[in-house]
Amino acid sequence: MQMLLEQLLNGLTIGSFYALVAMGYTMVYGVMKLINFAHGDLFALGSYLGYTILVIGAGWITHTFGIWGGILVAIIGSMLGIGIAGLIVERIAYRPVYKAGRLPMVVSALGASIFISNGIMAVWGPRFQAYPQTSIPTGSIVLFGDIRITILKLVTILVSLGLMAAIYWIIEKTLFGAAVRATALDKDTATLMGVDFNKIILFAFFVGPALGALAGVFVGLNYTRIIFNLGWNYGLKAFTASILGGIGNIPGAMIGGLLLGLMESLFEGYVSGAWKSVFVFLILIIILIVRPTGLIGEKVAEKV
Amino acid sequence: MEIKEGNVVAVLGANGAGKTTLLKAISRLLPLKSGTIKLKGENLITFPAYKLAGIGIAHIPEGRKVFSTLTVEENINLGSWGVRTTLPTKELQKAKDWVYQLFPILKDRRKQLAGTLSGGEQQMLAFGRGLVAKPKILLMDEPSLGLAPILVQEIFRVIKQIHEEEKVSILLVEQNARKALNIADYGYILETGKIVLHDSASQLKENEHVRGAYLGGKMLMDQKL
Amino acid sequence: MSEITQKITQRIFRSQSNGEAPSKRSKLQFLLLGVLIFFLILFPFLPFANNYWIDVGFFVGIYFLLGLSLNIVLGEVGLFDLGHAAFYAIGAYTTGILYSELGIPIIILLPISALLAGGFAYLVTAPIIHLRGDYLCIVTIGIGEIVRITALNNPFDLTKGANGITGIGSPDFGIFSIRTSTAFYFYIWIFLGLVVIGLINLQKSRVGRAWNYIREDEIAAEANGIDVRHFKLVAFVLGAALAGIAGNIYASKMMIISPQNFTFMESCLLFVIVLLGGLGSIPGILLGTAIVVVFPEIFRQFASYRLLFFGAILMVMMIFRPAGILPRKREAAGVRGLGIAKLPPDDDKFLDEVTKHTEEILKPVQPAKKFPLQAETNTGIKNGTVLETKQVTMQFGGLTAVSKFDISIKKGQISSLIGPNGAGKTTLFNVITGIYQPNLGNIIFMGKDITGKKPHDIISEGIARTFQNIRLFPSLTCIENVMSGPHCHARSGVFTSTLRNPAQQKEELHILQVSSYRLNQVGLWEYRNELAKNLAYGKQRLLEIARALATSPNLLILDEPSSGLNDKETEELMELLTKLIDEGLTLLLIEHDMNVVMGISDWVTVMDMGAKIAEGKPKDIYNNPKVIEAYLGKED
Repeated sequence: MQMLLEQLLNGLTIGSFYALVAMGYTMVYGVMKLINFAHGDLFALGSYLGYTILVIGAGWITHTFGIWGGILVAIIGSMLGIGIAGLIVERIAYRPVYKAGRLPMVVSALGASIFISNGIMAVWGPRFQAYPQTSIPTGSIVLFGDIRITILKLVTILVSLGLMAAIYWIIEKTLFGAAVRATALDKDTATLMGVDFNKIILFAFFVGPALGALAGVFVGLNYTRIIFNLGWNYGLKAFTASILGGIGNIPGAMIGGLLLGLMESLFEGYVSGAWKSVFVFLILIIILIVRPTGLIGEKVAEKV
Repeated sequence: MEIKEGNVVAVLGANGAGKTTLLKAISRLLPLKSGTIKLKGENLITFPAYKLAGIGIAHIPEGRKVFSTLTVEENINLGSWGVRTTLPTKELQKAKDWVYQLFPILKDRRKQLAGTLSGGEQQMLAFGRGLVAKPKILLMDEPSLGLAPILVQEIFRVIKQIHEEEKVSILLVEQNARKALNIADYGYILETGKIVLHDSASQLKENEHVRGAYLGGKMLMDQKL
Repeated sequence: MSEITQKITQRIFRSQSNGEAPSKRSKLQFLLLGVLIFFLILFPFLPFANNYWIDVGFFVGIYFLLGLSLNIVLGEVGLFDLGHAAFYAIGAYTTGILYSELGIPIIILLPISALLAGGFAYLVTAPIIHLRGDYLCIVTIGIGEIVRITALNNPFDLTKGANGITGIGSPDFGIFSIRTSTAFYFYIWIFLGLVVIGLINLQKSRVGRAWNYIREDEIAAEANGIDVRHFKLVAFVLGAALAGIAGNIYASKMMIISPQNFTFMESCLLFVIVLLGGLGSIPGILLGTAIVVVFPEIFRQFASYRLLFFGAILMVMMIFRPAGILPRKREAAGVRGLGIAKLPPDDDKFLDEVTKHTEEILKPVQPAKKFPLQAETNTGIKNGTVLETKQVTMQFGGLTAVSKFDISIKKGQISSLIGPNGAGKTTLFNVITGIYQPNLGNIIFMGKDITGKKPHDIISEGIARTFQNIRLFPSLTCIENVMSGPHCHARSGVFTSTLRNPAQQKEELHILQVSSYRLNQVGLWEYRNELAKNLAYGKQRLLEIARALATSPNLLILDEPSSGLNDKETEELMELLTKLIDEGLTLLLIEHDMNVVMGISDWVTVMDMGAKIAEGKPKDIYNNPKVIEAYLGKED
């Protein structure tokens, strides 16, 4: 029972990372019908940016703001930085090739992905880097019975879920969110309504990567070690999560991410850790064959 | 082509004549190869497409194009997006209430997803959505397309109503020539992208050539059949 | 020595063209090729070429082979395969495992690696081959990872985990074995020579063209009789087999293989090679390989940054030169470049011969059937009716697009289908040509029930169609576009196309003859070597018609053929269509231009809201009150 709950908590943690990254994929896909290959690498860059902020600022930040303050600074700094990076990627890798067609866009995305991940390697080196121990909070609290959870993990889950809820609210409950959804459905008609497509792109390419950056910093804090091609593995799994939830569907991406995290953790706990990635990829392949609109299904409105 | 303030101008012609292309060009969704579009003397070419909703031009596209996975209410609300900063909230609310008055069925189905509406209801939604911004100029692309006759009656009744009550100028593209000419002041007939005939609506109604333009083109107008 | 090389190059040259005096361009090409071969042969003997550099030469060879293998999938067919290293890995591990566990000689393991890699490719891609580009890409990444992780996890203690398999032997031919760097160098490059010749033959054959048609426009390819699924799978299997062979050779050279050699980055590198060089361009891929492998060797201090560099190059190239550094120049290659033997020296003389022997050329070919002809249930034409639809109904969700439609098309006539926008005309055509399956009803063609058949089968039955929004193969020449027509009546597959046996050559000549005739018939012969996308709109319409005609149909279905044509072009179209009737063809048109409908139709059917509301001779339709109402609206 203890193990089950532990695995569930682990699953929820990693699931929220998948969800945060998946939301970024889905946002961009919805608006541009393009799988942003570079997205996973932006997530990794976010993790490294957080690391750099903590390492460089370590003494000063922890001294002035305390350990949690330090984390907050790292998160905000990383989210802002990666949001901007996302806009730059759109400008450089996508905008110039919109007119050239599908293949050039995919290739350019791939090029951007290779560039960013190798750029990380060039700047921070090919070996593992570790988030500094002094910046990682310790301590745990009791949940119930004799189930303990580290405060870090609790905060991670709560903040991630909180941000997901915020994005959900923006997309589903505000007029701006309606404009985003409308643009994803029918760009021309949305333009007739007065929606400026460029602003929607800005939103998708800022917020999406920023969410990824948040996940990146949390990954660094929770798992300590990070490596330059982190983005690639997470990115692929997050993409699986978006497919699970139905690509283009933001609430679906959230649920898909959490679900995938739980399934992977349970598999790791009860079957095998070495094969867990294979498990996830098999899920991806099977879903694409059997139910390409995802488990949640694309919201398709039909007259009854 | 000229649209006088407060007029209803019909654009008629067979399929492929270029009617939808014309509207899309006016809405700046398609680039112009040459020529100008002037709104009260101001050249529209300098405007990007998304700005037109804010200066009083509403385009109701062919095939309704409602946002199917958004609710009716969200669709209507989006209609106000272009003027959300220029009109005060009270005005916007009044406009939305007015639209619900014009199309009571939309009020009933406010929370329903737009894609679940029938064809006629979707047309009303597309229409209402365009009216929320209180446009001065309405571009309507084949509002009667695929609708049962009774719904066509209804749509045209509303077109007439808003034209008379709100003094909106309307550019109406239609396949149903008779219905269009009945409410229009002036008409243009297009064929392969060119204007082949234009006259006041009353004159066009009597004109045999209109049938020719639809059902036999030049050859028949020259009595070759 | 030089005489022999001359003879060899001449022999190769002759097999690529038709034996007459080469043009300036091909002279230059062969000079370059000669220099390249000369350099490759001499390389290991050059003063600076120590073992290290000979090994570099070997690696250029391996990556060239891998690049060629990926090119079949990515370059020719246009499928984004980012997991190609998986097939490379399977070849290498097959060799490693079977050699270590069973002692099977390396040279025997070469074809076995090819077979296993190809078989694996078939198994994993068959269920997913229908996926759209981006999704297929992601799945291939997943497959690549699954293979790598499996190797890492050492199932049944076969793959030996992270350290990999060591002590792999060398290829042994009995009298000699391949052990030194120089030996391996010549081993791979001689093998490559054969592969390149084979791939060039394949490129210039029915199979290669089919792949390109799929890359350009899958739907149009299917609608023109190409079995898209089959050819995609063939490409994957062949590509995998070649990659598997590369794995075998690599394993025997390095003697050690481990999961590190087969990461996602390897697949990316291959992707970069093909894209850099030029999709579908064999010389381009050689250049791409040279750049990717040799540059980091020359600029050693930047070697670890090479992927950074290549990532940037990809982005830059997509903006400025998406076709690659050395793209395949089809317009320049022209009809000569199609690789068909025994052509008369002059294209126009060829056309003359074709026009003289038209009847013989256009004789109906036995449709390609894999099994012996069954008793024909095709009772042929009954009372002159070529096509009949019975109560065909097509629904999409709640919407009925076509409702209980009956239409009867008589042989040798031009029938038109007209109706207001949204009436369901194109939907009906799509049902007839197999793009949609009707919910109810049957389609009888020449007495045979063809309801529910796939589009490429319907072409074989004898119905060809054009599209409302023209669907050509844009980057191919006009003659290549038209050559997709006779594809469905030919039979040559990968083996005969690679070997270019006389039967295959005869087939290719026939395909060219039929295509040339049809291209000339619509008046586009002078544009034969122009890329389809560079044609004016009106001419593109004619090209589409020529392509449909080249399938030798009994019934030609045209969807708005005069759309976008000016008056003169419309008149020329009408002339062409009337001439086709004289030839014995039957035509069915959707038309909005009433000049065309009234001018050349023998029979007109009117459709509104999915149902038939009138039919008759053109004059009767013009005066029919129901039709007038459908178009102009009801009298209030």
